[in-house]
This record gives sequence, C-alpha cells and structure tokens, in this order.
Amino acid sequence: MSVSSRAATACLEFDAVGLTFPSRSGTPVLALDSVSCRFAPGKVTAIIGPSGCGKSTLLQIARGLLQPTIGGVRFVALGGNAEQMAPEMATVWQAFNLFPWRTVLDNVAFGLEVTGVPRVERNRRAREALARVDLSGFEHKYPRQLSGGMRQRVGLARALVMEPEILLLDEPFGALDAQTRLVLQEQLAGLVETTRTTAILVTHSIEEAILLGDTILVMTARPGRVAAELTVDLPRPRSLATTHDAGYGALFDRIYGLLRDEVLRAMSAETG
Amino acid sequence: MAEQVLPTGPAPARTTPRLLGAPQTLAWASVIAVLLLWESVVRLAHLNPIYLPAPTGIVRALIDLFANGRLGIDLLATLWRIFAGFAIAVVLGVLIGVWMATSERMRAIADLFIAALYPLPKVTLIPLLIIWLGTGGPFMLTISALGAIFPVIINTVVGIRQCDPGLVLAARDLRAQSHQIVFKVLLPSAIPSIFAGIRLGLGVSIILVVAAEMVVGKTGLGARLFLAGQVLETEQVFAVLIVLAILGIVVTKAQDAIDAWLSHWRLD
Repeated sequence: MSVSSRAATACLEFDAVGLTFPSRSGTPVLALDSVSCRFAPGKVTAIIGPSGCGKSTLLQIARGLLQPTIGGVRFVALGGNAEQMAPEMATVWQAFNLFPWRTVLDNVAFGLEVTGVPRVERNRRAREALARVDLSGFEHKYPRQLSGGMRQRVGLARALVMEPEILLLDEPFGALDAQTRLVLQEQLAGLVETTRTTAILVTHSIEEAILLGDTILVMTARPGRVAAELTVDLPRPRSLATTHDAGYGALFDRIYGLLRDEVLRAMSAETG
Repeated sequence: MAEQVLPTGPAPARTTPRLLGAPQTLAWASVIAVLLLWESVVRLAHLNPIYLPAPTGIVRALIDLFANGRLGIDLLATLWRIFAGFAIAVVLGVLIGVWMATSERMRAIADLFIAALYPLPKVTLIPLLIIWLGTGGPFMLTISALGAIFPVIINTVVGIRQCDPGLVLAARDLRAQSHQIVFKVLLPSAIPSIFAGIRLGLGVSIILVVAAEMVVGKTGLGARLFLAGQVLETEQVFAVLIVLAILGIVVTKAQDAIDAWLSHWRLD
C-alpha cells in the first residue's frame, strides 16, 4: 500500500485541554483533565489508555468535531511560531461508519463530492485511492457485501482520498478479527513508514501502539490525563518479527505496568 | 448406520403434488373454490340478488358499469383525489419531519399538536372541513392529505433520529455542511422508515377519500357505492367493492416493488 498524502506543514498542539459533559445524574463528568501535548509532525503518535479515558474524544477535539470546555487546540506553522488554520485532516473510525446505501466508490468519493469536486474527477481519485488499498474491482459493491477487513480498507481509502496532512485513526482495527488485524497493522506500518503524514492512532492494543507508533502517550483512567510519553526507538520497517526484539519486550512491560494500575482503577470506579 | 437414520437432503422431487401445493397455486385455487361455492349456493337456494348476488351477476354489473363509462370516470376521480392529496402529504410531511428531527424547538412545538391530532379519527373532521372548504376539490385534497401526513411526519422523525450518529460524525469529518448532512446522510438513512410511513399514510388516504365521497360526493367510487346501496343495486355495490379491492392489491404490490428497489443496498 502506498498513499498520497501531504507533508506536514504544521504541528498540532494541545494546550491544557479539558472537557466536561453533563451526565444524567446532573453532576458534570470530567472526561479530560488539562491534557497538554505536541503531536510531532510527520510522525505517528499512538494514544493508549483504559476504556472510557477519553482517547477517542481527544481525536474528535483535534478534528474540531468537539469543542473543549477549557484549553485549546493550536496548529503551529513549522519553522516558526505563527499559529495557522487547521490543515486537512481525515478520520478512520473503529465502526467504519461507511454509508450503507452508497457503493464503495461513492463512499470513498463522499468527501470530494461535498467539497464540490466534479464527478469525473472525484471518481478518478476515488478509484486511485481504492487501488492503493488493494480494492480495485469492488467499486460497485455495497459495504454489506464486504468483509470487516475490506470495509475498513474502504474507510482508509475514504480518508486518504482527502490527502490529509494529519490522519486520525480511532481504534481502526478494534472491530476486526485477530488475523485480519495483524495483516492490516503490518500494511499500515508500511504505509506510515513510506509517507511523511502525521498520524494520531488511538488504540487499546499495546502491540499496535509499539508496532505503529513513534511516540506513545499513555493515558490515565477517567478523567483522562497524560500519564507518560514514551519514545519508540525500535528500527523500522517494523513487522510481526519486531515483537521478538528485546527492546519490544521491555517497552511492552513498561506500558503494561503503567496501564495495569489505571485499568484496575477504572474497573473499581465502575463497580464502586 | 447413522446416515440411514438421519435425512441427509431434500426428498426426491414429486413434481405433480409439489406444483399443486405451491403457495401461488394454492392461493388462486382457493379463490376459485370460494367463487364456485358462492355461485352454487346462490343458484341452488334461489337467493334474492338484493341480499346476495351471484359472482356472475356481479361481473356482469361490473362490465356494464365500465361499458357506459361511469365507473371509469369515478375511478379516475377517486384516484386523483387520493394521489394528489397524498403527494402533498408526502412532501409536507417529510419537510416537517426533517425540521422536527433537526430542531429541538420545532420538535417541542410540533410534538403536542401531533399528539393531539394523530390519534383523532380523521373522519370526524369531515363536517368541519365541509363548513370551511365546501365539498369540492380543496376539501377532497385536504382530507386525503390529512390522512397521510401524520404517519409520514412521525416516521420521518423516527427514521432520522435513529440514524447512526457515527455516520453524521464521518460526514462532518469529510467536510459536509449541515444541509449536505440532511440530504446525503439523514434522509437516505431514514428512507426505510419514511416508506413505512408512506405505506401507512396511503392506506388512510384511501379510506378517507372513499368515506368523504360517500358523504358528499356526486362522483367517485365512494359516491357510486353509496348511490348503488340506496337503490338496492347490490350487484353494483359488489362491483365497486371489487374495484376498491383491486386498487388495494395494486397499491400494495407497487409499494412492495418500490421498497425492494429502494433497499437494494441492504440485500446481499
């Protein structure tokens, strides 16, 4: 898989972002608590944390689909300090979120269609994007007719066709079976290595975070805070073989150690 | 030995009994059997056709009514009233439904009116509508539209509110504007529900138009039915009922076909 994408022009920064939302009981719930971080341009940042820690929420805030209660999101131009407009971004969703009444081709072309790209042009670009995820020949199928892995490749093509400068991956393989997941993880690892796209990957798989990430942000249980920021300096290209590396084992244990306490805390908060 | 005990596949084909037992064949055979029984009972018992005419007599009346052109005109008048009013109801109903589903305020306002008007039997509005609109075209279109609009509104609202929020998020992520989300995401995802509403609504429109024609009409199937009943032309009464029954079958089957076509993306 290769991909067209834009080289990073700006760096995404979170500045003390906090989010509270109203709950049924009336007392507002603090979902994110003063999250500050910098997402290195041209790199993959993996965000890992216990369920309900607000990691998917973080992505929606980055995309501008959700406004933080306090703090802010900034895009700082590279090689300077000037703040700039949000660059092109696109999201790949855990639940695929494909439009079931649209064919594969029309799903991939959706973003171009709503931004006014003429039909011939958008179909050409959508076909190209589908070829990049090895789905040529499936243009006129409906999502229902595809397997889970193929649907998520459609989801990926639908994001890539927008030529995003920042690719947001919201547990993209969470709904897939273990084998499909392994293959797609390897393919995505290859994809991010050959392009200089900034990617933010939300996951609850330690393995996925290490395999794909340059940096790993470990989050705490709700309210979500950044517990640790780890650098993955394992050599690329990475594949399943990377998991036999001594450095991999040490990093895995370190992340598991950080997560274990948080997961236990989240579980006791649920039952208590 | 187990293979001999367990049935391993379909029984060998028995062509003749299977053809006779096919659901379609059974359906038509039972209709013919009922008609034959009806005809023979009427003939053997010498029943007065004012109470129960024989099927052959009804068919003769049906042919006569169509031959002198009156029933054809009545049918067209009724169809026009049903479908013109119904079309107004579908357009207005979907618009109001979308508005209600996407605006908290509009929903709050309209909810109570709909809760009051929806369960009200619409035939009870006929006297009031006659006072306001007379008995001509506007009255007929209004009564027909009133019948269909509530199921269309309610099903549009339900369909849109059941739309997967993930699809709306995905559309916003791909830079769709609000109006594009309505037309390219919310409405398409609500189509099955809207069509269920349209199906219910058309049924009510047919009932109301025929009922209104029975009360005020000089033309239309309802009027013909009522007049025939008053002069004890029972064969004509049955003839009109048959036309109405066939209308019902045609409408139902047409809707089945449209439903199947519209939801082709849901089938494998």
